[in-house]
Amino acid sequence: MATVTASAPQATLPGFLKRPVVRKLVLLALVAAILVPLANARWASGTWPDALTVDVSGPLTDTSTWIIDNRDSHPLFLYFFGHISNAVVLCVRAVYLVLLAAGWAGVTAAASLIAWRVAGRRLAAGTAAAFLACGFLGMWIPTMQTLALMVVAVLASVVVGVLLGLAAGLSDRMDRILRPVLDTMQVLPAFAYLLPVVLVFGIGVPAAVLATVVYAAPPMARLTALGLRGADKEVLEAVESLGTTARQRLLTARIPLARRELLLGLNQTIMMALSMAVIASVIGAGGLGDRVYQALATVDVGAALAAGIPIVLLAVVLDRVTGAAGERLGEEPRPNGRARWLYALIATVAIAVAARLAGRLDWPDAWTLNIAEPVNRAVDWMTNHLYSGVPVVGGTADWAGHFTTWVLDPVRDGLQWLPWWSVLLIVATLAWLIGTWRTALTAVLAMAAIGVLGVWNPSLDTLSQVLAAVAVTLVLGFAIGIAAARSDRVERLLRPVLDVFQTMPQFVYLIPVVALFGVGRAPAVAAAVVYALPAVVRITTQGLRQVDPAALESARSLGATPAQQLRQVQLPLARPALLLAVNQGVVLVLAVVIIGGLVGGGALGYDVVFGLAQGDLATGLVAGAAIVCLGLMLDRVTQPTERRAKKGA
Amino acid sequence: MSTTPRTAEDMTTESTTKSTTPETRKPPTAPVFAVEGLWKVFGPKADRIPADPELTALAPAELRTRTGCTAAVRDVSFDVRKGEVFVVMGLSGSGKSTLVRCLTRLIEPTAGTIAIDGEDVRAMDKTRLRELRRHRAAMVFQHFGLLPHRTVLDNVAYGLEIQRVGKAERRERAAKVVAKVGLEGMEHRRPGQLSGGQRQRVGLARALAVDPEVLLFDEPFSALDPLIRRDMQEEVVRLHREEGRTMVFITHDLSEALKLGDRIALMRDGAVVQLGTPEEIVGSPADDYVREFVRDVPREQVLTVRTAMRAASADETGNGPALAPDATVSEAIEAVARSGAPARVMEGGRCLGVVDHERLLGVVAGTEQRKEVA
Ligand SMILES: Nc1ncnc2c1ncn2[C@@H]1O[C@H](COP(=O)(O)OP(=O)(O)O)[C@@H](O)[C@H]1O
Ligand SMILES: [Mg+2]
Repeated sequence: MATVTASAPQATLPGFLKRPVVRKLVLLALVAAILVPLANARWASGTWPDALTVDVSGPLTDTSTWIIDNRDSHPLFLYFFGHISNAVVLCVRAVYLVLLAAGWAGVTAAASLIAWRVAGRRLAAGTAAAFLACGFLGMWIPTMQTLALMVVAVLASVVVGVLLGLAAGLSDRMDRILRPVLDTMQVLPAFAYLLPVVLVFGIGVPAAVLATVVYAAPPMARLTALGLRGADKEVLEAVESLGTTARQRLLTARIPLARRELLLGLNQTIMMALSMAVIASVIGAGGLGDRVYQALATVDVGAALAAGIPIVLLAVVLDRVTGAAGERLGEEPRPNGRARWLYALIATVAIAVAARLAGRLDWPDAWTLNIAEPVNRAVDWMTNHLYSGVPVVGGTADWAGHFTTWVLDPVRDGLQWLPWWSVLLIVATLAWLIGTWRTALTAVLAMAAIGVLGVWNPSLDTLSQVLAAVAVTLVLGFAIGIAAARSDRVERLLRPVLDVFQTMPQFVYLIPVVALFGVGRAPAVAAAVVYALPAVVRITTQGLRQVDPAALESARSLGATPAQQLRQVQLPLARPALLLAVNQGVVLVLAVVIIGGLVGGGALGYDVVFGLAQGDLATGLVAGAAIVCLGLMLDRVTQPTERRAKKGA
Repeated sequence: MSTTPRTAEDMTTESTTKSTTPETRKPPTAPVFAVEGLWKVFGPKADRIPADPELTALAPAELRTRTGCTAAVRDVSFDVRKGEVFVVMGLSGSGKSTLVRCLTRLIEPTAGTIAIDGEDVRAMDKTRLRELRRHRAAMVFQHFGLLPHRTVLDNVAYGLEIQRVGKAERRERAAKVVAKVGLEGMEHRRPGQLSGGQRQRVGLARALAVDPEVLLFDEPFSALDPLIRRDMQEEVVRLHREEGRTMVFITHDLSEALKLGDRIALMRDGAVVQLGTPEEIVGSPADDYVREFVRDVPREQVLTVRTAMRAASADETGNGPALAPDATVSEAIEAVARSGAPARVMEGGRCLGVVDHERLLGVVAGTEQRKEVA
């Protein structure tokens, strides 16, 4: 399996690259010929040899015990982490109280009036509908809890992100230091961030907010730096030629010139914060995510859906409103914009006060719609009728079972059967063929670190799920992407679907797959496929569509059939985009496969959940570290040379 | 300016205000910019290159392979006089932009001296340098360099805002300049809604708004369509005639240089190969490179009768059409053709010499003997 997914990009290498490829392979074969017999002689075993593992669980348990014992007494906690923790709790609480004080009418009015001002009437109506839907589903309070946490986390992420971005945008040295860190953080699954913050802050709202900030700040930092660096050189020169001070330059030119990137960063930060705020329910975030988490734990699909729908609505509204704000940048500013903001504010206050006077602060119980029961009835019906024994096609549970026994098990067993050194060798070969010796070295070291940590087998289990999911994703993604690139109609039909799917937080993908396939590894893989598919389709379509029209035209003028055009012109020219699609697919699949630990995916994700649930932080931290290594390895193995080169420039 | 047709009649009044003729060219005041031995070298350890005679002797390509450095400006010296349009011309990559940016230290020079009104620019501290950029020299850029998020008016007022001029005052002053460059009614548009020519008018207005002593132009019209470019050139001519502001004008376009320049410095590979009036450049190219450069110039429109004339014989001083010394040869051709006799070159009622068919044809054909009269 490993070789199947990986040899695809290798086969598309153009002819002129053949020779360096051969050179690399010969060199690797030489190194392997020397090292492998040595390694095999000393540590002959299929899995990672015990002699090469370091037991870190002892020291980790000690550390975690020490932290728990000293959390209330040690000055580091009293005077530093303690203050942070208190401040976070205070802020979240304050925002939550304000939201409650405004009442459902006030919050809905405020949200839709903001949407009206930044994004226009249609989105304002959509926003109002979304918030009211949250109320109808009986999720008003959890929605407000999630929103309060989000507001604090997004504000903190933006502050942290902008500061880091300013540093990286204005200083080349900071850029060189920060860029690889931010790039790496971007590819790590959300779960990897949970345990370190829990170690320091314990389970609760502060840990949830901080994990969210750590997860959501990098895109803001990256885009801020990108915007500052991408500013038109001549504009900056002109501004300097007028005798500006450095501060004037920053405030009147550099930041305004970067506002498109800043807004895009805000949009991405908000989306990632929502995604993480939901996942952080496993470390005590509360709110909507917690409802989904609790419901999934008891396989109560109806309840999970009732909490999942508000998450999706929130995601779509936040994404569209911030996105529209970015698109409106180029337009002529409306006259009397300030006055309109004032009207909006007055209207909000008026509605909130009116609701308060009418005693209508809380969402009225009579207005809630219990969808959990009917949904569960439907799921029960499905379980009884669709799970198995459907004539001819079989049932969904049968499919999941077959997928597990025919695909997942053989791949996992195969990987675990492979001698440990051959896994390293395969990783090195792939990474070097696609990237540079640097990426290959990082990938091999990351893989070796997994072995050293003593989680070789669960990691290969996770890896087998990732490979299976990536294979499915790429087959479907490339097929749909090619179809969309060739037909405008298909693309038009797909676009809104992709838009919605790409904004949904990872967590909610677990709900439908549990409904369809029950729990286990196959549903985790299915969720990963569904989550990664939109990005792969989109990148493939864009890559194929952006192929130089002149090249296509000349092929057509030579009488190439559509299939020939695709094979001989479009696919080779779109190679960078396709490699990027593979890279993105792998990163996104890993994120969800790990979260799949919550629905029976087992392996590393389960270790993290187990560690959190049992307070066995050592197990969780080791699994977290292995996730980081696996993420690094998978990213580097699929990282094309071009991307590296561009980053270096 | 040198192509503006002149006749003997308006010559007497004009020669007192304008100082384009070689005789009256002696600067009455200190030069605005005095540049001496200026070097700008890009690359690692650039400082050592101007000081090392062995390295400075190398050709650009060789210097790059030997040291990894590019000498964008090599040992350049010139003065910019008050009120003149000083043009720096050269092909792309010859170092013009680097040179003009060195004048206000937007690019830090490697060696040499620059003085503005006698004050050493390279010795200025940050504050003084900012003062220089705010009040004394303003620049117009090839791609305009406008702030896309500001309206035309606020772009023009930007220089004043930087100087912390109050909002009402800077808007008022900006509005006047906007009108001066012919953009009335567009004050509230964004640069993105303007055409290229209009954008460059905004760039020009922004530079004018701070009322600088010198205007620096870096290929301001190269990105414009030919017709718009001609309009803009005429705009600059008009502004210069009205205000007499000193200008340093960079261009790669020879006809633009000849049209605008009182004096032209021709650059090649970072060095100035010839510095002189348009007439000197076209009439007596310093080397083959310059000769090749000016080969296609219509010489009769650039050269003046002062260069083309010969000494008059006694009977010639009395009759024939009269011309001013800096009338162009093409004007003389017209006069001679109409009267059928050699034309006299008159200055202050005195006959300096005459031009006849032979002389004028010699200029057009490019075979005339250079006169020793400088
Ligand atoms: N920042 C820089 N770093 C290195 N080389 C430069 C830099 N700026 C300009 N150069 C080089 O200096 C030479 C002169 O450039 P420039 O002044 O832009 O020429 P021009 O404006 O006449 O086209 C060119 O060879 C260019 O490559
Ligand atoms: Mg230039």
